[in-house]
Amino acid sequence: MIRDIVKPTLTLAAVAFICTLLLSYVQKFTEPAIKRQKGENQDEALKLVLPGFSVGDAQKISMAGVEFLFWIGKKKVDYKTVKGYAFITAGAGYGGNIESMVGVDESGKILGVSILNQSETPGLGARCVEVANRETLWDYIKNGMPARDYNKERRIPWFQNQFEGIDANAEVRITRRGVWNPEMRPQLLETNAISALTGATITTAAVVQSIRLGMTTLKKALSMRLPDTDGGAQ
Amino acid sequence: MSYWKEFIKGVWEHNPQLVVGLGFCPTLAITTSLSNALWMTLSTAFVLVCSNVLISLIRGIAHSHLRIPLYITIIATFVTIVDLSLNAYQPAVYRSLGIFIPLIVVNCITLGRAEEFAQKNSVIRSLLDGAGMGLGFGLTLIVLSFFREVLGANQLFGYTLIRGMEPAAVMILAPGAFFTLGLMLWAMNTINSRRRSK
Amino acid sequence: MEIRIFFTILLSTILINNYVLSRNLGICPFLGVSKRLDSALGMGLAVIFVMTLTSFITHPLYKYVLVEYNITYLITIVFILVIAALVQLVEMVIRKISPVLYQALGIFLPLITANCAVLGVALLNISSGFPDPNVDLGLLKSVVQGFGSGVGFTLALLIMAGIRERLELADVPENLKGVPITFLTAGLLALAFYGFSGMRI
Repeated sequence: MIRDIVKPTLTLAAVAFICTLLLSYVQKFTEPAIKRQKGENQDEALKLVLPGFSVGDAQKISMAGVEFLFWIGKKKVDYKTVKGYAFITAGAGYGGNIESMVGVDESGKILGVSILNQSETPGLGARCVEVANRETLWDYIKNGMPARDYNKERRIPWFQNQFEGIDANAEVRITRRGVWNPEMRPQLLETNAISALTGATITTAAVVQSIRLGMTTLKKALSMRLPDTDGGAQ
Repeated sequence: MSYWKEFIKGVWEHNPQLVVGLGFCPTLAITTSLSNALWMTLSTAFVLVCSNVLISLIRGIAHSHLRIPLYITIIATFVTIVDLSLNAYQPAVYRSLGIFIPLIVVNCITLGRAEEFAQKNSVIRSLLDGAGMGLGFGLTLIVLSFFREVLGANQLFGYTLIRGMEPAAVMILAPGAFFTLGLMLWAMNTINSRRRSK
Repeated sequence: MEIRIFFTILLSTILINNYVLSRNLGICPFLGVSKRLDSALGMGLAVIFVMTLTSFITHPLYKYVLVEYNITYLITIVFILVIAALVQLVEMVIRKISPVLYQALGIFLPLITANCAVLGVALLNISSGFPDPNVDLGLLKSVVQGFGSGVGFTLALLIMAGIRERLELADVPENLKGVPITFLTAGLLALAFYGFSGMRI
């Protein structure tokens, strides 16, 4: 009886112990890489959504039990300092949450949107991070692969690009006009609209909805803070 | 059975999905792109080989009624190693495979091979069996994802194939996975029955 | 407000993000136990039960043990062992308490450990704040999500079993019999379920 119960239990415990030990070592080994990678992502996104701004440290505020992260950036334009805000917001897409960073100026005009995390369906919703590609695979085979240096020049996916200049305080309309191109910009800006991803209305709506929600939270967060911590007077 | 046969049986004769009928969940879920399929193959093969070898090594001390939790612990350890390494060094892959990396633990192939093969056979045979099964599993994934990516996204490895063509998006969605795998199994059955009748 | 969210979760897990037909989880039992309607019902009930219980246990375990001691990397190993132990325990308890229930569910319970939908629900509960990331609903949401996922699984299983019972009388080509025709049928079913994804809730 004792041999039947104690011995297998001890074996299992020993194996579990060794496995955990091994894993904790692997975890220690990979942790810095995971952390660095996350930080790099955030820094890159900040550069994208607040171009030319010098951005301060991240500020955390808890809103209804959910953490809200935002940044305040400053830029000199014609001897005047203008402020810009960036925040991280999330919306429910089709395959889970879509997390994006949004940069706005003082009037609420969007300076840039960068989608940080998404798990949408490839070919449909996942096209929200797709870079408009004019070359096909055959062109690449014929002309050779271009040198892909992402750190130097990161091309902005078209879906995110079209948010630039949209007023985040007003209602953002969704139209169905296919893949966005720069020629469409003036027309879309006039109606404060964006072009939806074909076949992925839920994804599009989730991003728009999350921007609206993030704006509301940002305003609340800014009004909650005391004026003297606002980073100096104008 | 020769060592070569032990290895190669996983590819066709005992192909995990097409013949034995195991491991359908990842086969359907992550074959939306060829790169997904390749990384899934690598991860599963790694787990399969490592767990097969280790389980074969300890086959003397594993007790009968607690062996399943023991195997699960070992498999889960290797899965976590894959999970952490992908998160650290291949973040894009990690994000697109999502929960299907931890779900390798409950992929019936890993536990099935441990039960059926590794606990009864020598280390070298278990290693070859794991590698062969991993390869067979991966080949099915690759064929499936090739058709789905080409037809459903008009892409290969993320590069557009035909300019301006609107792809059949249904192939990239869940129904397309069922259709493609069903047709593949049908083709496999037809080939096998032709062979048998000869 | 909260009731509306729970309703959304249920609708989303049962119809829109059905575990079998849209997420492709739990395919093995879906193929294996869908030959007859009564065994499909038994399996479905067992899965609902285990999924709800798993969600109830893994959520606090994650929040108060794994996160608290900074060992979230052990999540896979802990969750799968908890599920395995839980299934064993439930089997023993049911056998002692209710022999009738054991006869109905008993043979399906051991199969559930290797059902990836159960581990999937435990992992998805903590990884995504679906359906609304801006409201933290905690344990109750997990349980509702687990229950809904189980019901969704059962629904898919029952529909499939109903179709397969009729399919036995149909004249199917020899090589298409069995698993291949089941996959093609499941594809059509998935296509039908895809219609729910346009639903606004």
